[in-house]
Amino acid sequence: MLTVENLVKKYGKFKALDGLSFHIDEGHIYGFVGPNGAGKTTTIKIIAGLLKPTSGRVMVDGIDISANPRGVKSKIGYMPDFFGVYDDLKVSEYMDFYAGVYGIEKSRARKITDELLELVDLSDKRDAYVDTLSRGMKQRLCLARSLIHDPKFLILDEPASGLDPRARVEMKEILKELRSMGKTILISSHILPELSEICNSIGIIEKGRMVISGTVEEIMRKISRNRTIRIKVQGDIEPALRFLQEQPELDNVSASSDYIEADYDGNPDTLVRILRGMVKNDIPVISFSEVEGNLESIFMHVTGGVAANED
Amino acid sequence: MRINPVMEKELKVKMRGWKAPALITSYLGFLGLVVWMVFVSNNYLSRYYAPSFNPRVALSAYNVLAILQFCLLMFIIPPMTGGAVSGERERQTLDLLLCTNFHPLSIVLGKMSATVAHAMLLITASLPIMGTVFLFGGIRLRDLLLLMAFYLVTALFVASMGIFYSTVFRRSTVAIIMSYLTLGALSVGTFVFMAMYYVFRHSLYGTQFTYGEVMLFLTPNPIYAFSMMLENSDMGFILLDIFFGIRRIGMAQGSGMVNIKPWAANMIFNTLAAMVFILLASWRIRIVKKPLLKKRGRL
Ligand SMILES: Nc1ncnc2c1ncn2[C@@H]1O[C@H](COP(=O)(O)OP(=O)(O)OP(=O)(O)O)[C@@H](O)[C@H]1O
Ligand SMILES: [Mg+2]
Repeated sequence: MLTVENLVKKYGKFKALDGLSFHIDEGHIYGFVGPNGAGKTTTIKIIAGLLKPTSGRVMVDGIDISANPRGVKSKIGYMPDFFGVYDDLKVSEYMDFYAGVYGIEKSRARKITDELLELVDLSDKRDAYVDTLSRGMKQRLCLARSLIHDPKFLILDEPASGLDPRARVEMKEILKELRSMGKTILISSHILPELSEICNSIGIIEKGRMVISGTVEEIMRKISRNRTIRIKVQGDIEPALRFLQEQPELDNVSASSDYIEADYDGNPDTLVRILRGMVKNDIPVISFSEVEGNLESIFMHVTGGVAANED
Repeated sequence: MRINPVMEKELKVKMRGWKAPALITSYLGFLGLVVWMVFVSNNYLSRYYAPSFNPRVALSAYNVLAILQFCLLMFIIPPMTGGAVSGERERQTLDLLLCTNFHPLSIVLGKMSATVAHAMLLITASLPIMGTVFLFGGIRLRDLLLLMAFYLVTALFVASMGIFYSTVFRRSTVAIIMSYLTLGALSVGTFVFMAMYYVFRHSLYGTQFTYGEVMLFLTPNPIYAFSMMLENSDMGFILLDIFFGIRRIGMAQGSGMVNIKPWAANMIFNTLAAMVFILLASWRIRIVKKPLLKKRGRL
């Protein structure tokens, strides 16, 4: 659905994007992650046709964006990180306006608006003035607006920023619904966990370069050379700790109050050998499991521990 | 043909609430007051000089109204257009328009037609007041139509200029001031230029201006064109006196030549300039100059 090739964007001498390439398959939800200033918004604005790249190519659904910008724009729904609303309009008029801008007839627009307001749970606000909506509602309204022309491809720049936990959950639910509708979605964020549930592909960008990109499984596999096991034992953990530290296949053996963690090479045979050894040595193992590699740890790993704090 | 959604929305928002009726009411109230004062003062004067009713009074009332409206047009439109694009940039709504497949030219045209429509609404609403002057005769329908056409073209010109400046400058106030400065330069600056050129030329060759040369300088001048139009319609003209000297130069040398009328030349100039401004604005609107807004003040 989206192919970005060798994208470069310079602001004066500063290279915000430095040969960025990635690909999103149709129907995928792509998490576009990177620390502040990595170039996410810049990339997104280029894809949305709001910025011209210094060089490089962007193809959306087989169309080159520089060759046919308006054709591409009609396939894209874009929700910026910061946006405003026209304060003198009601919610329904707001939707009507953008429907008109996309050239949708009035009667059809009304129907679409109803459906979309239903989707983002704003049906009861249709006669409210837009500026009386809360932050989260505006965010949802903006999402509904970006869907008004039924785009195949959605670009959401930090859709969850500034939302409270509850609103984040609601936003996630909406995104899941959109996924089931078959939309391809690019979501940017500088925190991974909020994406881990909904994305099936991710790309991690840093300093204008793609550090890693692909489906979640691929990435997990690529970087899981350092996988972690977590072991719980009954009673004293000292003997277990000593045993594990003696094993050459294990690294970074560390104990917390009630479990021990250690990195291993990712080979299942290693696990079998370790467990057998522990049992043979009468260590009372009550739990022996692999720590689920989560996206957060991947992110930390890949970006070399750049703090992923929000704001 | 589909109605331009930007124009529709702008008009909807403009007409909503108390502001639009308040503007029309005060505008008409003001014009009415002026007409009334002209009649009263003229009646008062004519009591001494001409005991019977003088149609010239109606004529001068008409002229005063026409000039007043013309000035109001040039004063009202810059603030109406100054924020057209910069305001959307400030409020972060512009990107939402530019990311659609709506053509930038249509955005500019939508904004412009909304402004022009609003301005023409004021003028149309004042027609009944202008009409009181008809009661006393002296004005032909043709003159009135010409006047309206001239207003319309001027409104188009000023509005497109305002929108263009609004795409260039970040701040609406700067755009408004630039519009006023430009109008000032066209109205006064061209005269000054011409006077300077005249002095230079006179000392060099000792010859006087030809009509063509006057037109070269004064075609873009809205005041000159407007004053010539009023005079052309066989109406007495008040401003004439103000610019009398310079005008005379033009007329003296132009005699015998059949040339385009100043108001017609001005209308053509304004139309062309408006088209240029519209094209420039629709090109400029896409250009992002300053860094992307950084944090805070979201939404
Ligand atoms: N118009 C601009 N002029 C100059 N530099 C810019 C401009 N826009 C962005 N930059 C710079 O480009 C880099 C990338 O910015 P961008 O907004 O794309 O980052 P981001 O990944 O979206 O960050 P965040 O998580 O904070 O939103 C930053 O260093 C930023 O300062
Ligand atoms: Mg950003």
